[in-house]
Amino acid sequence: MSRPAQHLSLARRLGRWLVVFVALLVLGQALVVAEVDPSALVEGLGGVARLVADGLPPDPAALPSAGLAVLQTVDIALVATVVATLLAIPFGAVAARPRTGGQLLSAPIRAVAAFLRAIPDLVWALVFVAAVGLGPFAGVLALTVHSVGMLVRLFAESIEEMDSGPAEALLAAGATRVQVFSHAVMPELLPTLGSLALYRLEQNVRSSLVLGFVGAGGIGFQLLSAMEEFQYRQASMLLLVLFALITVFELGSARVRAALR
Amino acid sequence: MSQPLLGITGLSKRYPNGTQALDSVGLRVGAGELVALLGPNGSGKSTLLRCAVRLLEPDSGSVRVADTELIGLRGTALRRARTRVALIFQQARLVRRRSALDNVAAGALAHHPGPRTALGWLPPGERARAAALLARVGASEIAGQRADTLSGGQAQRTAIARALAQRPVVLLADEPVANLDPEAAAATMALLRELAHTERLAVLCVLHQPALALEFADRVVLLNRGRVVLDQACSDTDLATLAGAG
Repeated sequence: MSRPAQHLSLARRLGRWLVVFVALLVLGQALVVAEVDPSALVEGLGGVARLVADGLPPDPAALPSAGLAVLQTVDIALVATVVATLLAIPFGAVAARPRTGGQLLSAPIRAVAAFLRAIPDLVWALVFVAAVGLGPFAGVLALTVHSVGMLVRLFAESIEEMDSGPAEALLAAGATRVQVFSHAVMPELLPTLGSLALYRLEQNVRSSLVLGFVGAGGIGFQLLSAMEEFQYRQASMLLLVLFALITVFELGSARVRAALR
Repeated sequence: MSQPLLGITGLSKRYPNGTQALDSVGLRVGAGELVALLGPNGSGKSTLLRCAVRLLEPDSGSVRVADTELIGLRGTALRRARTRVALIFQQARLVRRRSALDNVAAGALAHHPGPRTALGWLPPGERARAAALLARVGASEIAGQRADTLSGGQAQRTAIARALAQRPVVLLADEPVANLDPEAAAATMALLRELAHTERLAVLCVLHQPALALEFADRVVLLNRGRVVLDQACSDTDLATLAGAG
């Protein structure tokens, strides 16, 4: 092997070891900062087992109140997703750079959308609980705001990635940009938008459970109450209902998404 | 020549990478005339058509459609002028999830700029007209069919009907037969010639096949490196002359 080739090979090997070393360093600090302690888990397993034992069998008495709470959880997600989708379509269209002509407004809309989705929905829930008080409406507002941030970005990217041919053909025929959007962009994009909105609905159902923990309505609030009052059999019943709810939702939305394709 | 409906004078376009795509191009197409635009790849044919409808901005020159100068127009005036110049692309560029009929009717959107069409509505009158136009191009049987189920020839006929829905006086076609089999290509060219002659449209059609140009066009214009190097009636030229000039 020639001398320059040997140098190259040595440099490559050193480079690889450096990458491995840095990766291990990053992982090591993460374990320390996150206070990962397997012995604490082993010691705590007994507590988990006691908790599970205390929670069995699930208490069917929790079912009637769980029904209304489940409905509230789904409705929070549903209203938030529908409102967010309706808001995100026009904003996403303007934020999309090449096609729909909103070049001037594209950057500001993208920046606002990035801000809305950068703040977790749980934090938005705390903000809106302070603004409108405890209850499901705070959850609706929190999920709407966060979902708008997510959907504007996804919708804009979908518009940018689609085939521009039909839109350009209508533009060349003298159609206005709004007409081009409603007659060429929307029909092509509808399955994608529907699919993204459904996926968002799924996520919002899951999120709305957690929002209940900070008083923004839904079954999460009941679950937290049951845990705080040591009503573990009621809590396990609520968890079962949650599991059923999420499963049904995921199956249903997967089917609808497949039908949209 | 009959009264020119399309008059292009001194049209030049240089791309940002320095390529001079068009170098003071001039040509005229009269009512009822089908002109074939030939030339090797990169000679500026497609650029010329895109500049003619202002999908690309030319650096200088003039594009007159009937009595309207297109260069310099903006906003509503440009949209109104664009309705008079229809552009047919190599790919039909139909909205795939809509029917052939809806695609054709959408060609007339510029004539209905109100809020209802902005929300996706198509005027019933335009749908009826679209049905008649599909029949006009010999494709009435596909009216209800979704665009993504059409064959290449059917899609191109639908695109031609959509172009007619604009109520144009000039028809620009950018390699409309490039993706079609020989039979569909000949049928499409025959349709373009028939439309030029019976509807008194000025048709400028980019082609790659000189034989097809000589068979169907009234006149042939040859572009090379952004310049017109030949402009002759088809009856006065032949394949050898075209090969020599290109």
